[in-house]
Amino acid sequence: MSAEARDVWVYLQRDKERLTKDSLEVLAAGRKVADKLGQKVVGILLGDGVEELAKQAVQYGADGVLYVDSPAFGTYFNLRYIDAIFAMVKERRPYAFLFAANELGKDLAARIAYRSVTGLATDNVLLEVEDYTNPALGEFKNLMVQIRPDFGTRLARIYTPRHRPQMATVRPGNFTPLQPDMKRKGKLEKFPFQDAEYPAKVREVVELPPPELDMTGADVVISLGLGILKDGSGRPRDPRDAYRLAEGLKKAVEARYRAKAVIGASRALIYAEVKELEGVISKANQVGQTGTTVSPKVYIALGISGALQHRVGMQKAGKIVAVNTDPNAPIFKIAHYPIVGDLYEEVPKLISMVTGGAPVAG
Amino acid sequence: MLLKGVPARTTQVAQVGGVLNREAMDLVLNPHDAKAVEAADFLKRRVGGKIVALSMGPDMKLIPLMKPLYGAEVTGVDEEYVLSDRKMAGSDTWATSYAVSLGVKKAVGRHLAPIDELAAVISKAGYSDAVKSKAKELYQANLLPNRVYSELPAVKDSIVQRFSEGGITADQALAELAEVKESLGRFIVVSGIKTTDGETGSVGPQVAEGVSELLGKVVPHATYVEDFDVDDAGTTVVSARRIGRLVQTLEMKLPSLLTISTEYRPQDTSAALQPAARHNNYRGKLLQAQKWTADDLAADAKKLGLAGSPTIVGTGIDVGKPPVQKFVGKSTVFLKAVPQADFEGKKYGPFDKGQLVPELPQALADRLKGEGATGTFGYDALVGELFG
Repeated sequence: MSAEARDVWVYLQRDKERLTKDSLEVLAAGRKVADKLGQKVVGILLGDGVEELAKQAVQYGADGVLYVDSPAFGTYFNLRYIDAIFAMVKERRPYAFLFAANELGKDLAARIAYRSVTGLATDNVLLEVEDYTNPALGEFKNLMVQIRPDFGTRLARIYTPRHRPQMATVRPGNFTPLQPDMKRKGKLEKFPFQDAEYPAKVREVVELPPPELDMTGADVVISLGLGILKDGSGRPRDPRDAYRLAEGLKKAVEARYRAKAVIGASRALIYAEVKELEGVISKANQVGQTGTTVSPKVYIALGISGALQHRVGMQKAGKIVAVNTDPNAPIFKIAHYPIVGDLYEEVPKLISMVTGGAPVAG
Repeated sequence: MLLKGVPARTTQVAQVGGVLNREAMDLVLNPHDAKAVEAADFLKRRVGGKIVALSMGPDMKLIPLMKPLYGAEVTGVDEEYVLSDRKMAGSDTWATSYAVSLGVKKAVGRHLAPIDELAAVISKAGYSDAVKSKAKELYQANLLPNRVYSELPAVKDSIVQRFSEGGITADQALAELAEVKESLGRFIVVSGIKTTDGETGSVGPQVAEGVSELLGKVVPHATYVEDFDVDDAGTTVVSARRIGRLVQTLEMKLPSLLTISTEYRPQDTSAALQPAARHNNYRGKLLQAQKWTADDLAADAKKLGLAGSPTIVGTGIDVGKPPVQKFVGKSTVFLKAVPQADFEGKKYGPFDKGQLVPELPQALADRLKGEGATGTFGYDALVGELFG
């Protein structure tokens, strides 16, 4: 039965007149998987007046868009959306179905997967296509390999061999949206839907002001970890000193190179609730699996040991600098520029070089 | 209230073919579940009723973990169940949600059946001592709320009390019992937003779907709930939840399911609500946690454990390739581009500026260094490579 399932579906989220960045990333992920399979990418879009958005999806890599267009879908309401999407799945039987791993994508995907009696691999950082052999179940050609952070110290491959669609959520920040091609043509197809009575309704939707800190758009991220609490000799240091150094580096980089720099933090530092850093560093700064995934040109890790949960949130950075006193810190495995030393000594050297001072001996 | 036992330490994770072996590890309650406990406590103070804790995993490990929850927050958990069976080992989120949905149905059903039992005695014999003794038996087993039968001095208007005093007829008593039964079907399932081991956040919504299928009616759900309240009648829950930059206020009829965000802070409840809440409360707590097996749940074994899990965990992979590393103050690099270096009739290169110096004859390496073509990788070179 599974042989007839075809196409890679991508659920498209919208923000007013645009597809969200997360959705464009998932489209790129879907394109990659579909090309390897020799299948089509179909965007799934629900909303009120979404035909223009459907065209956008084609420009960004979809071969076609299956959409529901009705005032009933003007506001996101999970039960109605789930019913409409499930009706599509049931009728068309996609081979794979991808969602963004954000609140909305996960809200939909989980329930749709259960109802469809299929697997859901969440928070994937990579998707591949491979043959898979399981001693108990046999051989499977061209399965989607869903690669996600595992508990512990590695990434795990997740397979959904026997059930269709193979459903996955894709962690934002791990795929780059394709360049739009205004000439690309695709098949736009409207899908009917039947409204129903629901034991729930949306009363109100309020838009919060834009976040003060947009880490995903930064060129340079300078992150602090628990290591800032001590200096190279193990003596306690006021973490505000490290914050001032990070600020100094940020300002120097911004002034000299006109780059956008932000200050990040590891989960360990956020969870430690360091009193001195109250009001300066918050969850908004957190980089990693439970925080923000960043892919800046330059990532500078200060006093961060580099647990896997942190690494999955920053390993896509173009160049990684790590300063740590522990030569065995896992961060050094992925750093392009490891600096084994005391950040309280090393960062001032870096700052003076950025500001154009004379090279510091050492 | 759904709970999970997760590994206490990331350094002591026992895996068998990609599946966690929870029996071989120290477990703690999933830290995110603390918010579910707070939410359940709020509900009990707000409208009364019973907090039933449900977990899945090795009962020997989980029962001791769950025991302190009888005294958690203000009201504490009233009953605890652990779904524990070899057949459930290795369950992915789908198979877990299936088993947990059956557990929810059974936990609710346990409280519906006694109402039917009591109603059967009333409809058979009208008022008799049998009614009171049946009610008392069920009440003492924590299976009837105070509004049906109570030994609390503060509750003088239970259904059985009014019926026995002739205040209501048998038909009226049966009608009221039917109402009670219906209200018991208006439960709320609360869980954490995700677990710290799987980190999927899928089981909450999937249990809502699973329970919907088992009950034959739509059970709505809201994830990432930061604030919520129920109406006095216990029919509707209004929740505020984050979806990206939006805060959505969702109104749901009960039964429904909420996953509770780490941002949730319980509202205060006023003393004025206490009498109404007390009517919905039960006599006491069942302090002995119960184990439910696959048979107890009448589960379809094909939908449990590894066999019932659509996903398979394959081999792990390392994160990325190790990068070419340059150590500040240690590595030797080309300080300028060298298209070609001739040495003893051999040609070397080309070398790019910034490139690590490869294995070279010592004399050539010394010569290049002397010419200023190579040198130690310093902060100036680092800054050039990072931002230049």
